[in-house]
Amino acid sequence: MAGPVYIADEEAELTSVSLDGLCLLFHAPSGMTHIVATPAPEILAMLRSGPADAAELLRRLSAHYAFEGEAAAGALAARLEELESAGLVRRA
Amino acid sequence: MSGTDDKATGVQAFVPTRRTVLVLGAAAASTVVTVRPALAQTAGSVLNCEIPVPGPHAGGNFIAQDGSLVAPGTAGAAPPLARPLRGEEVRNLLRTGATPAGVDPTSAQAYANYIRRLQAGMSGFTCYASLQMPR
Repeated sequence: MAGPVYIADEEAELTSVSLDGLCLLFHAPSGMTHIVATPAPEILAMLRSGPADAAELLRRLSAHYAFEGEAAAGALAARLEELESAGLVRRA
Repeated sequence: MSGTDDKATGVQAFVPTRRTVLVLGAAAASTVVTVRPALAQTAGSVLNCEIPVPGPHAGGNFIAQDGSLVAPGTAGAAPPLARPLRGEEVRNLLRTGATPAGVDPTSAQAYANYIRRLQAGMSGFTCYASLQMPR
């Protein structure tokens, strides 16, 4: 499985405030604020350790989390596309 | 809401110390909502705004594949574009990878990465930020 490889901006470019169950992200390069829900903050955190495609991200997430359901790979790919269209991740 | 004890200082705060269940959601469910900043423009003007690649501050510099500015003539880097890109061209380039007319397709990724790295105050930034507005 060779999907697109994603990369996140450096953490210094993102100001993050966690609210109850939600997370506010101010993305300095674009000047935009995003309201994200799980699993977006978790995905961004996992991308900090380097570029990754969906399969690699799933491996990294698996080290910390268990998943519900069997469609984890497809759902993760959809989440990555959302983050890309929001400008929070980009293709490496 | 005013307490600071449980305030996370970064997304690293979301890496748990014990194994928990992460719900990735249905493929169709959205987990990101973007707030429009005050500089949002109308759709028409966004598509007609222009982004010079590179901006006038870096006139003559080449652009590496990762979008950074490098000295003119650097091997593997893309030369400056002869004309600014229009908003619509940039939107298509960033979303679908479509190469604007007259642009070398092998250099398109370098130009796209340059545009993604634009910061507030740099020529073309307002145009780029506006293009990112969800409609």
